[in-house]
Amino acid sequence: MVEQVSAEMVANVHSVDVSLGDRVEAGATLLVLESMKMEIPVLAETGGVVVDVKVAAGDVVQEGDILVLLD
Amino acid sequence: MTALDSRPVPAQAAAGAERLSRDEDPRHPRHRLEALLDAGSMELVSPDDRSGMLAAAGTVDGTPVVAFCSDATVMGGAMGDDGCRVVVQAYERALAEGVPIIGLWHSGGARLPEGVLSLHAVGQIFAIMTRASGTIPQISVVLGPAAGGAAYGPALTDIVILGPEGRVFVTGPDVVRSVTGEDVDMLRLGGPEPHGRRSGVVHVLTSTEQDALGRARMLASLLGSQGEIDTAGVNDVDLGIHLPESAKRAYDVHPIVDDLLDESTAVELHAKWAPNIVTTLGRLGGRTVGVVANNPLRLGGCLDSTSAEKAARFVRMCDSLGVPLVVVVDVPGYLPGVGQEWDGVVRRGAKLLHAFAEASVPRVTLVTRKAYGGAYIAMNSRALGATRVLAWPTAEVAVMGAVAAVRILHRRKLAEVDPELRPQVEVELAEEHERVAGGLDRAMDIGVVDEIVEQKSTRSALARALAEAPARRGSHSNIPL
Repeated sequence: MVEQVSAEMVANVHSVDVSLGDRVEAGATLLVLESMKMEIPVLAETGGVVVDVKVAAGDVVQEGDILVLLD
Repeated sequence: MTALDSRPVPAQAAAGAERLSRDEDPRHPRHRLEALLDAGSMELVSPDDRSGMLAAAGTVDGTPVVAFCSDATVMGGAMGDDGCRVVVQAYERALAEGVPIIGLWHSGGARLPEGVLSLHAVGQIFAIMTRASGTIPQISVVLGPAAGGAAYGPALTDIVILGPEGRVFVTGPDVVRSVTGEDVDMLRLGGPEPHGRRSGVVHVLTSTEQDALGRARMLASLLGSQGEIDTAGVNDVDLGIHLPESAKRAYDVHPIVDDLLDESTAVELHAKWAPNIVTTLGRLGGRTVGVVANNPLRLGGCLDSTSAEKAARFVRMCDSLGVPLVVVVDVPGYLPGVGQEWDGVVRRGAKLLHAFAEASVPRVTLVTRKAYGGAYIAMNSRALGATRVLAWPTAEVAVMGAVAAVRILHRRKLAEVDPELRPQVEVELAEEHERVAGGLDRAMDIGVVDEIVEQKSTRSALARALAEAPARRGSHSNIPL
């Protein structure tokens, strides 16, 4: 099942810590967003394989934007 | 009253050779109440008949409680006049004894054949629940579908626990389909996903019925046997190890909350709903306390409309039931934006200000990293009547971060500076600003922070501060905000 990981709030993408095909464990940092002058890690809720990375460092994302797809 | 056990099984319930007899049915309320209460402690306080409800008195971990349970073996647990009287009587007994009441729900709602009589009866349950609110702890466990009146019953109580088969909705999928044409199943309409994450109806999600009853036992014991703080028995642990090195980096506050409380006593409420604030019941020095903590990992720990409402209800519940509060603050502010304004962040945020300002229980604030702006005020600040405000040595209490402040205060000056030199000038101005306007020294001077505590001695400092405060309790109900 494909799991969408989306942005909780408007933010800048500070860094992307995974690439296509990576296998991640639950709790792993997928990327780091920057908002409210803070660096906020986005963690994987469940383990899986990264099947799509929709954003790159420097992008601005809106609330609800899909960041990463896990399978 | 006497226990009325093992009555003959009515013919209708036992119909069909392949079907379980009512006595063997795991949904029989006697089995469920037995599983909830301490072994051998159950005393039935209503007849085991076909009223649709069964009530019992007993203990959980030695704490006296009253409990009632829908009878899902009769008309799907539907509630009529007789069944509702059982619940009202259970409430009267719990109120008279001043003990927690636990409701186990599995009911399609009011009994249709009884018409308005059943509506009137269900309304009487709502009335006594409201009368009991803030007086005795009320815990609901939803074990099967709970529709209509059976949905609003739990919703009026302090804490709602959802079993794996629990579904809560005003109207079931069939009615939804026939009225609006919307095609939806029970899981999506009223299961753990909608109520755990979106609606806030359910406080605790569980994966087995046994786990759901276990959580109810833990909560009844926490709220019903609150204990006294034993300051001498509080061991200190370093809570600072859970902070990241960079002050800009977000982190999960759960390990701090868990370590702040006595081991294995924490029960988090509304864990997946508004996760940017954490509301947890547990014990500190043996005494039940409620912890409210910003969680920087989610939304940077900002307050928003939903989290303010969640925390406000928790604070009011704790105040009304006499549970002291520990407020762990690391908050960058209120979440800005059109979505929030339209969502009523002003109206719903005001609930948190109101909840703290009216609270009478001892309530101690701990600023771990930062407390900025309006959110600083809302998180049990001195002005709202905090019993005591503690801060870790590196904490910051300010209107906003120093760099952000000087960008506003020195806008013109900075505009004239060579862009390449600007960051350097900003840092210098920020240091100057912190000396004059911010910093813990200033906060202590004006009396909004009482004491700087080391991360390694925080548990004992919190326990002391709570133990020294006079034990008071709010005199108000716990409206499900």
